[in-house]
Amino acid sequence: MLEVSDLHKRFGEQVALRGVGFSVPKGECYGLLGPNGAGKSTTISILSALLPPDSGRVVVAGHDLATEPLACKRAIGVVPQELALYNDLTAEANLLFWGRLYGVPNAAVRERAGELLRLFGLADRRHHRVGTYSGGMKRRINIAAALLHRPQVLLMDEPTVGIDPQSRNLIFEVVEQLHADGLTIIYTTHYMEEAERLCDRIGIIDTGRIVAQGTLAELKDASRLTGTVDVTYAGEPAQVLEQAASFWPHVHQEKGITHFLTPGGQGDLARILQGSTERGMDIRAVAVRDVDLETIFLHLTGKQLRD
Amino acid sequence: MLLLALKDLRLFVQDRRSMLITFAIPLALITLFAFAYGGMDGGGESRPYALPVSDLDATPLSQAFMEQLDTLAALTVVPMGLEQAREGVRKGKQDCVLIIHPGFADSVRSGGELPVELQYDEAQATQVSMLQQSLVPTLINFPFNSGHARTAVGTRIDRMMENGPVQERLRARMQFDTLYSTMERGSEGGTAGAFGVGGEVKMTSLVKPATGNRVVLVQAVAGTAIMMLLFSVVGIGMGLLDERQEGTLKRLLLAPVPRAHILFGKMISANVISIAQLSVMLAFTSLVFGLQVRGHLTGLLLVIAASAYACSAFGVFLAAVAKSRQQVQGLSTLIILVMSAIGGSMMPLFFMPAFMQKIAVLSVNYWAIQGFFDVLWRTLPLPDPGFLGHLAALVLIGTVLNGLALHFFRRNVVDAA
Repeated sequence: MLEVSDLHKRFGEQVALRGVGFSVPKGECYGLLGPNGAGKSTTISILSALLPPDSGRVVVAGHDLATEPLACKRAIGVVPQELALYNDLTAEANLLFWGRLYGVPNAAVRERAGELLRLFGLADRRHHRVGTYSGGMKRRINIAAALLHRPQVLLMDEPTVGIDPQSRNLIFEVVEQLHADGLTIIYTTHYMEEAERLCDRIGIIDTGRIVAQGTLAELKDASRLTGTVDVTYAGEPAQVLEQAASFWPHVHQEKGITHFLTPGGQGDLARILQGSTERGMDIRAVAVRDVDLETIFLHLTGKQLRD
Repeated sequence: MLLLALKDLRLFVQDRRSMLITFAIPLALITLFAFAYGGMDGGGESRPYALPVSDLDATPLSQAFMEQLDTLAALTVVPMGLEQAREGVRKGKQDCVLIIHPGFADSVRSGGELPVELQYDEAQATQVSMLQQSLVPTLINFPFNSGHARTAVGTRIDRMMENGPVQERLRARMQFDTLYSTMERGSEGGTAGAFGVGGEVKMTSLVKPATGNRVVLVQAVAGTAIMMLLFSVVGIGMGLLDERQEGTLKRLLLAPVPRAHILFGKMISANVISIAQLSVMLAFTSLVFGLQVRGHLTGLLLVIAASAYACSAFGVFLAAVAKSRQQVQGLSTLIILVMSAIGGSMMPLFFMPAFMQKIAVLSVNYWAIQGFFDVLWRTLPLPDPGFLGHLAALVLIGTVLNGLALHFFRRNVVDAA
């Protein structure tokens, strides 16, 4: 359904994309996971024909973006990161406008708008101006506006940024529903739990490159990590980190806890404790966790998602 | 495209502040200016002025008279054929024409009234009456300055004493030298007019208000309407920047419509609102101040449409060029006030120096005001080249600005989205 190959993009001296490529079959939810500035939004902007790539190719539902941009746009629904709605119009009026802009006939767009308002739990407020909505409600309408023309591919650019837990859960449920209905979804996020919950496959993007991609299981296997050992030490954090790094190659610190990325399972725990004791480090607490997406990301990029 | 325009119109109607700026404030200002302009008919002062002169006498004396006029600091004589000059007055290109009628030289020699006439546009009555006053001294003194004073004075004395007693006539003749010396000295001091030598400049109205409209009212409504329209279309154009700021422009760009259509939609809605605003302002002036529009509706609609096109293009152009609301507000206030000042929105052009009147053509205000005067004052017929020229200038300005807006929209606004 979506073929992306070797995308490059520069903004002046700054290189945003360095050969991004991935392929998404029909009905798959593909997560693009990366920290801010990794190239997620630039990739989405290129896929949605907002930005031309410097080189590379994008094919959407059989249409080459370079030669058939309007056909690609019709095949795609985009949920922009920022809210993009007319606050002075009602929710229904917004949906009708955006639907008509995509060429959906009047009767069909009315029916579809009603469907989506019900799906997103906003049917009873359809005649209220969007400006009176809460942030979460606006987010929901923002997503609904991308679905009016029944796109074949839905691009969602961090759709849950800055919303309340209730709205976030509702959005998750809607995305899962759309996924179950067979819609192809590209979902960018920097929240691990979203990618883990929603996506069939995940592409980890950093500094304009896809550094790894696959299912969560494939990523775990590829990382050769089994988990992390989280140790709380007494003493100056910087000094602790320096000492830990002297005997363990994959280590980092967050909120006073030192995380050791471990490829060797339980045997690693003994080696970490021994190394700490040999260096006179004062251990206060120890916890062992299985490998998760955050650990994999840290291992692959050397940085945390929310750095 | 139409859908985009309809959406903009809907947003406009729901925005009370825009409605207030578009309709209520202009009406209040028209009222204010209509009263203010009403007191200006007799005001003002003369400025250097290019005076078209038709010399129908074509004698050395009439030539000498023109040369003397040309020496006045306030005037530059522009020799012109009579029909060309009168046509210019009818079409508003000139305020008036000074005609030196045949027999001028004979009158100078015989001491008779000098046949000099100012034919003028009543819309420029204030300016022309000031001009007349500046011509009179030259006219009065011309017999003295051209060496025909003795004849002129003698004839004048004879006429003055024509019906008097014989003794008085004889005494006047005997005292001629004394009288002549007095008048000659008077001419040097600029008081020869007291003896009536040379006569007066006859004033004849060439363009009268066939509509019954008062010139001050036409000036007030045309000048104010265009200035206020410019301010309000800038607000409409700024909607483009609001869309960028609120993210909706990005979403519009994601839709399967050509990018230019987004701008065209904005232009259409700006045009519709502009036409509505101008129509409401004219209707208000007609109802409240008695502006006569009946019988001129077609011409008026054409001027409204052309003015709305040029003004809305200006608003959209500014929004496409600028990168923020603040930039638009700063730029627009400056440009609109300058255009309104030089274009005749704030005061009639004849109050301004000649060079200002020349650069007036750079403003939208000038062409629009001329268009309104063509219809409401000069009552030019639709196919008149002068009227069509004013409309064409507005359409040209609008088209150029729209073209530039499209260029800058693609370069600035789309990139920023």
